[in-house]
Amino acid sequence: MKNFLRRLKRTNSLSFYSLWLLVVLYALAILADFISPYPYDLQCREYALCPPTVPHISVPGRKLCGPVVYGIVVVNPAFKEYAFDSSRRYKIRFLVKGPERKIFGLLKTDRYLFGVEEPGKIFLFGTDLHGRDVFSRVLYGARISLSIGIIGVTISFVLGLLVGGISGYFGGRTDTILMRTVEIIMMFPFFYLMLALRAAFPPNLSSIQIYFLIVIILSLIGWASLARIIRGMVLSLKEEEYVLAARSLGISSFRIITRHILPNTLSYTVTALTLSIPGYILGESALSLLGLGIQEPYPSWGNMLSVTVGNLRILTMAPWMLIPGFFIFLTVLAFNFFGDGVRNVTDPKNW
Amino acid sequence: MDKALEIKRLEVSFIPAGKKRVKILRGVNLAIGKQESLALVGESGSGKTITARSVMRILPRSMYLESGEVLIDGTDVRKLTENDLMDMRGRLAGMIFQEPSSYLNPVFTAGSQIEEAIKDSEFNLGSSPLRGEDMVGVKARISRTERKKLVLKMLSEVGLKENVYYQYPHQLSGGMQQRVMIAMALINSPELLIADEPTTALDVTTAYGIIELLKKMMTRYGLSILFITHDISLAANFAQKIAVMYAGKIVETGPARDVFSNPLHPYTERLISCLPERYKTGERIKVIEGHVPDFNALPKGCAFHPRCPYKKEICLYKEPGEITKGTTTVMCFKYG
Repeated sequence: MKNFLRRLKRTNSLSFYSLWLLVVLYALAILADFISPYPYDLQCREYALCPPTVPHISVPGRKLCGPVVYGIVVVNPAFKEYAFDSSRRYKIRFLVKGPERKIFGLLKTDRYLFGVEEPGKIFLFGTDLHGRDVFSRVLYGARISLSIGIIGVTISFVLGLLVGGISGYFGGRTDTILMRTVEIIMMFPFFYLMLALRAAFPPNLSSIQIYFLIVIILSLIGWASLARIIRGMVLSLKEEEYVLAARSLGISSFRIITRHILPNTLSYTVTALTLSIPGYILGESALSLLGLGIQEPYPSWGNMLSVTVGNLRILTMAPWMLIPGFFIFLTVLAFNFFGDGVRNVTDPKNW
Repeated sequence: MDKALEIKRLEVSFIPAGKKRVKILRGVNLAIGKQESLALVGESGSGKTITARSVMRILPRSMYLESGEVLIDGTDVRKLTENDLMDMRGRLAGMIFQEPSSYLNPVFTAGSQIEEAIKDSEFNLGSSPLRGEDMVGVKARISRTERKKLVLKMLSEVGLKENVYYQYPHQLSGGMQQRVMIAMALINSPELLIADEPTTALDVTTAYGIIELLKKMMTRYGLSILFITHDISLAANFAQKIAVMYAGKIVETGPARDVFSNPLHPYTERLISCLPERYKTGERIKVIEGHVPDFNALPKGCAFHPRCPYKKEICLYKEPGEITKGTTTVMCFKYG
């Protein structure tokens, strides 16, 4: 592992830093209960669509001071116009006490990373239509968006690799049956198949049930194209001499597929894997956008973005509502760079 | 059973997609005694590799065993089920190949590949004919550390250092790769080793090392070796017996010294007279006129007759049978 990281840094430093970015993002998601200053569903109706409150460490007139935020003044509640009053300053405090929460449902804590003196408010990324803190919601939403990709990709890749491997290695009738099944799945337009599958289940499910449903739906669609590509690669790899050598040593077919053939598709698979994680994040967003995904008030990056779609007024008035989109962008990019580096490092011919 | 490998009237057919089937082994007879080495010599396309792969039952999909018997230590591999075959490969017979670099998986270390070849004794119990009395009750699975110990021991047996365990195939030289292959083939201590042109891809000094290693392993492990090569002088140097193959048949077998010094079949005779070391500098080397016949259009009668200087009328329409002359068995009408 240490070796892996060192090689990653040496061969592709961009991918090394992407890995760190991903680690940070996942840490933020896991520690959301500790880091976020407000719960994801706490509404401050009087401050709906409030712009980000920027922390200041110097104040006009006086030089340096501890980090503070200015007080928010509602200029026009109908048009959601706000101003900041630099004469009202509220100190930002670290490890503040507050109502007890559980970190990831396990560890009890009554202290949060930071907070601000009452009645001041700290909205690092502004607030949404209901006056909820976007920063806190981004952290909580990361839990859904970051895990859905990983779990979905795992399921669909296990399926795709196995089906593709078996199909390519055995050929003949097995191949025909499996590949026709794959084609039937691929025949349906991705989006409508997703909708149809979702529609087949009752609409009034709990958030957790919906979450798992989405993961399963996305991965049931995702494995087909991968299986096809893997099959093609296996067709050529099974003619390699080391497969013959493995057979001459009396190694079983299943082991030959999983140990000798599939690892040789790794350089492709790893890239495909990291490239398809964004697809899952976006797929979840698409479902959430149509009201079929994660339900309010629980946040995901997708359903946070969905408010802005088709509503130009909100976009111009409150561009900070696009911040979840920026996080999707960041994650997708980091996964792609990371995948690139992993491909270079895992290929022993590149050492 | 006193034979490590016995092949009787083996016929193998090749069925190209959408074409008529072609016989490429036309009744091969071969026997290797225990702790004996036999070199199978012949031109490219004469069926040497197919013979070897028939023994392991790893023929390409388009080829299949038509008839005949292949007995490894008395077990007919043609009658084995797929599971028993898996058990047989590696345990009864191991195989090494021509191009070691492409026969090792590039993405795993040498050590892990050798380790993978180790068979658990409990593997495939049941009514397998391979299971002798001594195997009953052996159920122990070898632990990870024991496996590694075994591999390291094997590595030193084949003359490699311990660090090879952690190296990938491309980090090893050709000779080292071939040694790794030998370690893989011998780790279950089979009685028979099939070496399919193991030195062809190596340079002469490395090849010498491999040959010496094979000789050493033969005495240490009580191995019988089926050594396939197209180099008849190497064959005479290495093996106790030589079998010369031509167009899917064994045309001459006998003790290496006899075959090499006193070849009976015209093909063997020509083959030996082609060796460059028999000529002085500047002298023109004799070659065998013509080509190996196309399996689709084999000549009638003896397959060698179009290239044979001694051909008689009978050669044109009748295939010669086996004739024993002294220690050698030959298929030629020249001897009756």
